[in-house]
Amino acid sequence: MILTILKKDLRLYFSDKRGMLVTFLLPIIMITLFAFAFGGVGKKKIAPKPLGVLVVDKDSTTVSQELIAKLNAIQTIRLIASEEENALDLVRKGKNVAALIFEKGFSDAIAADADLPIELKYDAARDLQMRIVHTMLKEGLKYHLGKANVINTIKLKTTSLIKESSTKAHPGLVQAVGGTAIMMLLFSIAAIGGGLLDEKEAGTLKRLLIAPVKPLHILLAKMGTAMVVSILQLTTMFVFAWLAFGLAIFMDVFSLILLILCISFAVSSFGVFLVSTVKTRQQLQGMSTIIIILMSAIGGSMIPISMMPGFMQNIAVISVNYWGIEGFFDIFWRQLPLIDILPKMGILLAIGLAMTLVSTVLFKKNIIAIE
Amino acid sequence: MIQVQNLSKSFQNIQAVNDISFTINKGEIFGLLGPNGAGKSTTLNMMSTILKSDAGNIHIDGIDVNENSKECKHLIGVVPQEISLYEDLSAFQNLLFWGNLYGIPPKELKERIHTALELIGLLDRKKSLIKTYSGGMKRRINIAAALLHNPKILFMDEPTVGIDPQSRNHIFEVIETLNKKGIIIVYTTHYMEEVERLCDRIAIIDSGKIIAQGTQSQLKELVKTKESIQFEFNFLSESNVNQLRELLSYTMTQNKNKLLVESTVKELSNVITACNELQLSIKDIQLNKVNLEAIFLNLTGKQLRD
Repeated sequence: MILTILKKDLRLYFSDKRGMLVTFLLPIIMITLFAFAFGGVGKKKIAPKPLGVLVVDKDSTTVSQELIAKLNAIQTIRLIASEEENALDLVRKGKNVAALIFEKGFSDAIAADADLPIELKYDAARDLQMRIVHTMLKEGLKYHLGKANVINTIKLKTTSLIKESSTKAHPGLVQAVGGTAIMMLLFSIAAIGGGLLDEKEAGTLKRLLIAPVKPLHILLAKMGTAMVVSILQLTTMFVFAWLAFGLAIFMDVFSLILLILCISFAVSSFGVFLVSTVKTRQQLQGMSTIIIILMSAIGGSMIPISMMPGFMQNIAVISVNYWGIEGFFDIFWRQLPLIDILPKMGILLAIGLAMTLVSTVLFKKNIIAIE
Repeated sequence: MIQVQNLSKSFQNIQAVNDISFTINKGEIFGLLGPNGAGKSTTLNMMSTILKSDAGNIHIDGIDVNENSKECKHLIGVVPQEISLYEDLSAFQNLLFWGNLYGIPPKELKERIHTALELIGLLDRKKSLIKTYSGGMKRRINIAAALLHNPKILFMDEPTVGIDPQSRNHIFEVIETLNKKGIIIVYTTHYMEEVERLCDRIAIIDSGKIIAQGTQSQLKELVKTKESIQFEFNFLSESNVNQLRELLSYTMTQNKNKLLVESTVKELSNVITACNELQLSIKDIQLNKVNLEAIFLNLTGKQLRD
């Protein structure tokens, strides 16, 4: 008797393609992604993308120039010559992990065996990358300036350009709140979009089409609902982060509101896009689970982008999560002015617009086709 | 009022509607009778403006449905086969929503909702959520939602599916009341009893084609035999039937121990006498008058519910 029921259950289980995808394909995709993210995949290791470190040579002597050329041979980092103001600006904006500054008198200090006037100014939001850069540069300096008696005296001073005390935010908190908020929002919105399929199955969609209502209006109304819920959900999460963890949400409230609006638009359009690509609720559940988890994984909701290998960081830009999380870092951590955050908001709006346009075509083909 | 000419529609390789034509006049209740999958709903969907035909045309009040669907939408009300209501909203909230889509001014809409709920006998339950309603009550609200914009024509797609006889009768009364007010009713069903009770004229549809249309009496003329008698015996062999055929000149069809004799009630005694002569033990006798089921069987060789 037990065997009969067991056989029946297994037959039903293996006939459910959606269940099979979630059970087998999704974990395989996730394992692959995390394996790449944490490194060490297979026998052939993928060479990590060199970390861009800006270098400011205020000493500008033959000694400093030769040392920079030698340090540039380190595989994991790539030194980019820059002016000090520009270098610090790029690090503050999160474009580069750190700036290495050779102060005036560097070559004289070497000659005098004095402390080296050299400093590494970094973005603490990219802590892991910073540790790699710091270790590699320190080892490089020891190697190239390596007289046995001075090896232990070489010090590489490090300074975080953004202080936690000034932002009242820890990069980990921004990552946790921003990343989780967007991922959970994607799940909520996929469920709201799925309401269109419920309406189709219940027959209310047919009645809407019989009434003097344009199909596009039905789609836009559903998207509007998703957007209102998105705004409320994101706002609630940030208010909670403020109350529970002291996240300074009122530091630049105008930028935060604009970013929430842009993310809500992009996520809502993503929700209707997902719904427009399928024909049944079951298809939606399987597909949305896979796509949302995949997008959240590569977009930085699960692992900080800075921990991922270079090629995955390049892929990350296709996800809504990436632009949203980066936007939150710009507001809470980097404290950038609105003008510097606007391009990210623009990309979110562009993603939203593109998905809305595709959805209108697919909606007519897949959802409102009456048979 | 409604003219359907040479209408066709196919889905991939399936010809759902195949060159059908009919006219529906003012004040009529018109029935589209056919088994499941005959093409009734597809026809109704094309008439309801939500499905484009492959060929042919539909004119409602002189307006081409394909060319001016927006104008047609205000002339027609549709009661879909599904209960197209929001379960978590009350009856009033549902009706308010559907009515708003037609741009009816708020005050007038509330009055119309009141009238519609009164008509279907659910005014006292207007604040209850739809999910608390019985199947029959939901069907009645489904009808009310199609009436708010005062349509001239009401399309009803199997509006009594899955409900009890009492609710069905209530819906019939509503339909008759609406028809008396001058609303044309187009009614699709596979229940011949409903069509027989309600419809002035009927089109019988099968495999996408109209196989007959007219008033009930016109359709009955299509069948030669108007009455038949069905006998059930305790035992009936093929030789018994052959012996009966030698004694009687009626057409007879045997089905196990049952025998359908195409004769009138007046000739019943002749058949009983013949049975007695052959010492056949009669278990049951049933008199059949010609009905739409018989007409359908006669025209297609199939039962309506096949």
